[in-house]
Amino acid sequence: MSQDHLKEDKEPDPYTQQVLESGLSRRSFLARAAGGAAAAGLFGLSGAPALAAGARAAKTPNPGPDAAFGKSADGGATLSFLPKPRPIHDREIKRTLTFDVVVVGAGASGVPAALSAAENGAKVAVIQKAPFALSQGNTGAGVDLATSEKAGVEALVARLIADSNHRCNPKLVRQWAYHSGEAVKWVVDRARQGGSPVVDQGSGAQRAILKVNGYGMGYVTSFFGPKPYTTGDGMRALAKTAEKAGVRFFYNMPAVQLVQNKAGEILGVIAKDPDGQYVKFLATKGVILATGDYQNNKAMSDYFIPDVKHLGRKQLDRNGDGFVLAYWAGGVFEPIGHTKMLHDFDAGPASMCDMPFLAVDRKGRRFVNETVEMSLMNNYLKDPGNAGHYSQIFDADYMTQAAKWPGKLVPPEGLKHYMPDDPGAKKGVFASQVNTHVADTIEDLARKIEADPATLAATVKRYNELVASGKDSDFGKPSDRLVPVLKAPFYGIHRRVRLSAICSGMLVDENHQALDADGRPIKGLFLVGNLGGGFYGGVDYPLTVFGLSLGRCYTFGYLTGRHVAKL
Amino acid sequence: MNRITARQWAAAPLAALLVLMGAASAAAAAPQGKADRMSKHADKGITCAQCHGKTGKKAVVPKKQCLTCHGETKDLAARTADVKPNNPHENRHLGTEADCNRCHHEHAASENLCLPCHAFNFQVP
Ligand SMILES: Cc1cc2nc3c(=O)[nH]c(=O)nc-3n(C[C@H](O)[C@H](O)[C@H](O)COP(=O)(O)OP(=O)(O)OC[C@H]3O[C@@H](n4cnc5c(N)ncnc54)[C@H](O)[C@@H]3O)c2cc1C
Repeated sequence: MSQDHLKEDKEPDPYTQQVLESGLSRRSFLARAAGGAAAAGLFGLSGAPALAAGARAAKTPNPGPDAAFGKSADGGATLSFLPKPRPIHDREIKRTLTFDVVVVGAGASGVPAALSAAENGAKVAVIQKAPFALSQGNTGAGVDLATSEKAGVEALVARLIADSNHRCNPKLVRQWAYHSGEAVKWVVDRARQGGSPVVDQGSGAQRAILKVNGYGMGYVTSFFGPKPYTTGDGMRALAKTAEKAGVRFFYNMPAVQLVQNKAGEILGVIAKDPDGQYVKFLATKGVILATGDYQNNKAMSDYFIPDVKHLGRKQLDRNGDGFVLAYWAGGVFEPIGHTKMLHDFDAGPASMCDMPFLAVDRKGRRFVNETVEMSLMNNYLKDPGNAGHYSQIFDADYMTQAAKWPGKLVPPEGLKHYMPDDPGAKKGVFASQVNTHVADTIEDLARKIEADPATLAATVKRYNELVASGKDSDFGKPSDRLVPVLKAPFYGIHRRVRLSAICSGMLVDENHQALDADGRPIKGLFLVGNLGGGFYGGVDYPLTVFGLSLGRCYTFGYLTGRHVAKL
Repeated sequence: MNRITARQWAAAPLAALLVLMGAASAAAAAPQGKADRMSKHADKGITCAQCHGKTGKKAVVPKKQCLTCHGETKDLAARTADVKPNNPHENRHLGTEADCNRCHHEHAASENLCLPCHAFNFQVP
């Protein structure tokens, strides 16, 4: 960590203070619910009027499936997506196992956390819901301190804080900046030992951010690819290295409850084995939850991030289990309005996704100044009709017309890999997700991209008029980004942005230890990956540094595993 | 319909309670010995108890129960190895261990879990 920022503050930082004030914890919910009408007003303001129904629902036996709230056995209210755990008695426990560190979830943060703890001398168990380690994505980013100017690192930190609309915890961003190079290198090395073909793409993958405010930067960029090879495969290779280091993996074993004593300390986890029986895992040093986000929990999603209600999901089984566990242990959710990540790097070349070709919505209408990046397009396509669908349209001359634009053009031969109708072999893509098309007329292209032919023809006609005039009087796109769509064949990439990840989580300190509603560390409980909070804060996940999300997951897994092992 | 007392309500987690209430109303509505809704198994003469046991509780049948008749998951995967474009019973997300209930529904139309992400257009029986 940077020496300049090591000074210990007694007061919680502004980020933590804000989460303590406006986040959701068991205690804050009880307090609000007890406030009755006052509570309804409070939540009404923040866009969750359903809470008012909560107080009523508690009195009626059958609130129906739409009621968001019920009342728990201890008399305290509970949100429906946060069911109060039923006590599991000792006689129901089939067996009890004791470790130093128990990691829950074998994904991008959990597997590194487990291996890191083992390398630091701990006896480690990983309990994983799925039949093997599971994660997604390819690229993970870290800062190479050896080739970066100190001022550059700080400038990058400032840039990332700005990307988060200044709503994140700067301490965590700085922690990533100063430790990620070491951590990502370590992941690459250890995954390779497990047989992964992972490579370090270094700074080449981060061309757009080699200078920040004029200061030089260097990067470590892990790449688990090309597709269909992903970080999921990578984490399975890393798990092999971890097993060799003595980590025990328990698969098909979802964690269902934390073991907590009266003082509030976490002593372990109870999981359900494949026979439906409970197994208790005691953790003498700590439990690290690494269960990922909650995108497949509809009620939780609708509550914390209503923006994504109509958008598809790219993951399975991310039900927010870890959130429920941490909430009942006293943890605090970041306030409503969580940061989201929505992409489609599969329909067509990733390198062309931000190129400002004519863009049309699902019907075929122009809807935006196309200099808006793909990662932000979701904000225009949230409605149930568009549901994240849009298309990039260009003509036969795209290789010359767009040659000077930022991004990297893929020539027509290369585009064939992305064309479901092209009979050729598909390399470096998910064949079942490609969605690029070519046609001799705009109407035919419209049919292929599933837009309305007449609407698309009218849109193209209007666009060509604007291009000819040299001024985009409809959306104000700069004139050097205006190229016509005139010459056959015509191309269309039908992108469909779906939710990749929700990257807000629950309140942690710099050790990634969960904090309670008073801002005090919950002994024995650590949260990493997307379950951890504080690293983001904006509406959308930034692509400033490519692979920040996986880079963060590896880094915080690596640091937390080591920290807990040494307790 | 069975009465649920205020105490039971307060003690039961919401999800469990909804299942419970569903069970109570279904039991009341269904003619004895017959499934309440469509059942592909019942059409073949298989009784409720063969899947659900004798307790009479309406609940999702554990995967283990499916396998007692349909065989080991690995064998199932081998039988569907030629399904195009991908073997649904052996995939990169869940291996051979997907819960049968995710796609195959007994009392409702089955669904293809792959579809939201992939163009795997097979019909799920
Ligand atoms: C298609 C796609 C592409 C992406 N590409 C990139 C990319 O290139 N670069 C990038 O930086 N980010 C990318 N991301 C985002 C990145 O994958 C995630 O942010 C990251 O994987 C999150 O890591 P995690 O450890 O928090 O959770 P995950 O990696 O999701 O792991 C969570 C694990 O916990 C397990 N689990 C859940 N509940 C329980 C339970 N109750 N008990 C036990 N285990 C449980 C799950 O099975 C899972 O294995 C992509 C995401 C998607 C969907």
